[in-house]
Amino acid sequence: MKKLDHKGYYFIAPFFIIFLIFNIYPVLLTFYYTFTHYEGYGSPEFIGLANYARIFTDTQFLEAFVNTWKIWGFNFALQLGIALFLAALFSDLRFRIKGLGFFRAIFYLPNLITISSVAILFNIMLDWHYGSVNQFLMNIGLISEPINWLNQPFTAQVSVSLILTWMWFGYTFIVLMAGVSGISKEYYEAALIDGANRIQTFLYITLPLLKPIMLYVMITSLIGGLQLFDLPMLLTDGLGNPEGALNTMVLYLYNQAFRYNNYGYAATIAYMLFLITVVFSAITFKSMYREVNGSKATSKSKKRKAKNAKKRGNVHVYEKVSKQNTYI
Amino acid sequence: MKKFLSMMLTLVVLVGFVAGCSSNTASSNEGKDSGKKGDDVLKVWSFTDELKEPIKTFEERHGMKVELTIIPIADYPTKLKPVLESGVGAPDVFTGEIAFLKEWTDRNYWENLSAEPYSVDKWSEDYVPYVFDLGKDSEGNVKALSWQTTPGGIFYRRSIANEVLGTDDPKEIGEMMSSWDGMFEVGDKLKEEGYRLFPDEGAIRWFSKSEDPQPWVNENNELIMTEAKLNYFDHAKKLREKDYTAFAPEWSPSWVASMNGPIAYNGGWDEVKEDSKDKTEVFSYALPTWGLHSVLKLNAEDTAGDWAVTSGPSPYFWGGTWLGIYSGSKNKEMAWEFVKMMTHDEEFLTDWAKDTGDVLSYLPVTNKIKDDFSEPFLDGQNNYEFFLEEANKIESGIVTEYDQQIDTLLGSKVLEYVEGKLTKEEAIEEFYKAVENAYPEIKTPK
Repeated sequence: MKKLDHKGYYFIAPFFIIFLIFNIYPVLLTFYYTFTHYEGYGSPEFIGLANYARIFTDTQFLEAFVNTWKIWGFNFALQLGIALFLAALFSDLRFRIKGLGFFRAIFYLPNLITISSVAILFNIMLDWHYGSVNQFLMNIGLISEPINWLNQPFTAQVSVSLILTWMWFGYTFIVLMAGVSGISKEYYEAALIDGANRIQTFLYITLPLLKPIMLYVMITSLIGGLQLFDLPMLLTDGLGNPEGALNTMVLYLYNQAFRYNNYGYAATIAYMLFLITVVFSAITFKSMYREVNGSKATSKSKKRKAKNAKKRGNVHVYEKVSKQNTYI
Repeated sequence: MKKFLSMMLTLVVLVGFVAGCSSNTASSNEGKDSGKKGDDVLKVWSFTDELKEPIKTFEERHGMKVELTIIPIADYPTKLKPVLESGVGAPDVFTGEIAFLKEWTDRNYWENLSAEPYSVDKWSEDYVPYVFDLGKDSEGNVKALSWQTTPGGIFYRRSIANEVLGTDDPKEIGEMMSSWDGMFEVGDKLKEEGYRLFPDEGAIRWFSKSEDPQPWVNENNELIMTEAKLNYFDHAKKLREKDYTAFAPEWSPSWVASMNGPIAYNGGWDEVKEDSKDKTEVFSYALPTWGLHSVLKLNAEDTAGDWAVTSGPSPYFWGGTWLGIYSGSKNKEMAWEFVKMMTHDEEFLTDWAKDTGDVLSYLPVTNKIKDDFSEPFLDGQNNYEFFLEEANKIESGIVTEYDQQIDTLLGSKVLEYVEGKLTKEEAIEEFYKAVENAYPEIKTPK
């Protein structure tokens, strides 16, 4: 014990100094701003809890909250669905799909395009009169009249969701594939020998063992999704049109701060956003974590699995699965 | 010993790190100090490259370097604000667009030009009145000057005017368009022949705004909703319902395309190649002085020479750039020289106007040159004279720092009413709500 000294601290000090100046200080300063009226000029004026009183009665913020969830939720469900399907497809021993690396790269490509380019691209493609999306849909006879995608609340939100899905399913797929490749091949071989079909293999082996990875995907996507800003900002007028459907929480924050100079209120929105993110991450984590590690939920599913396995006289898989669970 | 050595090493690294920072700040201070002597670089910030040529002239005249920093207008106020607040790395001269001009005149960012040694008040007669007034703060001190004036008019197609209205004379057309009823009448005639009066409903917002010239917000922080602004809702709706517009929103690709020839109307793009009845041509556009050079000339190549400009129901202006000296500048002498050259130098401004066609606000020069202008794009019309007349009709002192944002909010609510998403009452109600949300300090009518 005596041999320990404090040398290490000097090496990590630069990081902490920079972290203090560029992260902690702004965070604390922002917290101070939540109690002020500040237009970015001169010095902030202290107004107590007025900003908090305002945000709890602000219907626009509530709308922004709902919009953000709608857009993120639809996108996440779709994105995870596609990624899981692809992961199942590529992990299946019987399919032996070749060129995983190639497809991985192809699926990931949309994520490499800068978001502003994506916005310009889709702005042109979704144009009411001249857009290729409408032209295509009309040519194949799916719609008889052009849809003004970005001018109706529902279609605008769906458009943003779909664009986000297109951009992010590749990333989710890669992460899930990494999780899949971490699952021992033995389980699949055993399942194959024991006569489990594809759906069973996916439901009882891949899915349970992927849960920790899915938890990671879910929480990172949630945090990113709640901060949704760039696409809604760039696709329409930056005010959340049509009819405020694309007004997300961060877009609202941005407009309050940089369009209307309400820095104090914008800071309050930022802190609300932080609270919301923490709360929902905690809920997600709790519910998923319990299923992964907790006794109640797992034992239930284990029992079910055991029952299923025993039906076919397949105790082996069950043991392996429960063993794997204890490692996680 | 080893421990001591490594400790020393870490310390050295750390000290080097800290010293590195401090030596940097030291050198930048030095930079500032040398700026004090006024012999090196004059820093100018703007949001367009407009000043490039004048800067060359200035450099030649004074033998000093001018460094122009161009920041795209969308980021301009956001980027400039921290710099002006802290004074670190601030420019010596910076420009302000009308959208944020009023936000800045009442801060201490620009040097007070009414005071010694500038005393620009004695120049007040030299400028188009509204332009000179807009550069003043609430106490009447001049903070910024402008070399240009940006009144607007209605640019229309001569060939269509001849065909439908029987004349292409700007005076007569202006007469026809001088009232709302007259404008709708023209719209009706155009409609019958398959043309559209305006590209979109937003085109009339300037006339609504300046019909009854009052500021958006008065000194008691109350929102002023004039009858004219309320009528904007109805006029816009009428344009849509009577089918006088071509669904080509400002700055959209179809808006740009409509200047150059027939465009597809109302989703008729499927028949774009055929001579379908769904195609239409737009008769006129409400654009200011710069609209001629930066919008029409660039986009209307096939229709060049077929244009003319006239006045609408009320005079208006759109945009404009002012410039002033940063109050914390260490190089005020040269900064003032630059501002003076840009705004009060006969020789330079005469060349500038002849080169660019920019309509100046400096009357000694405009009085001399306005009669000689003849714009080939407008079939030889003297747009310079026309715009100067319009500029003199403009009421000054109605611009507030809120204008840009409130206009945007109003425009979006009018559009929702026009598209039938809201009733007029709902739209107005939502507009008030949006204003309150953006500026809680403003009281809206109840």
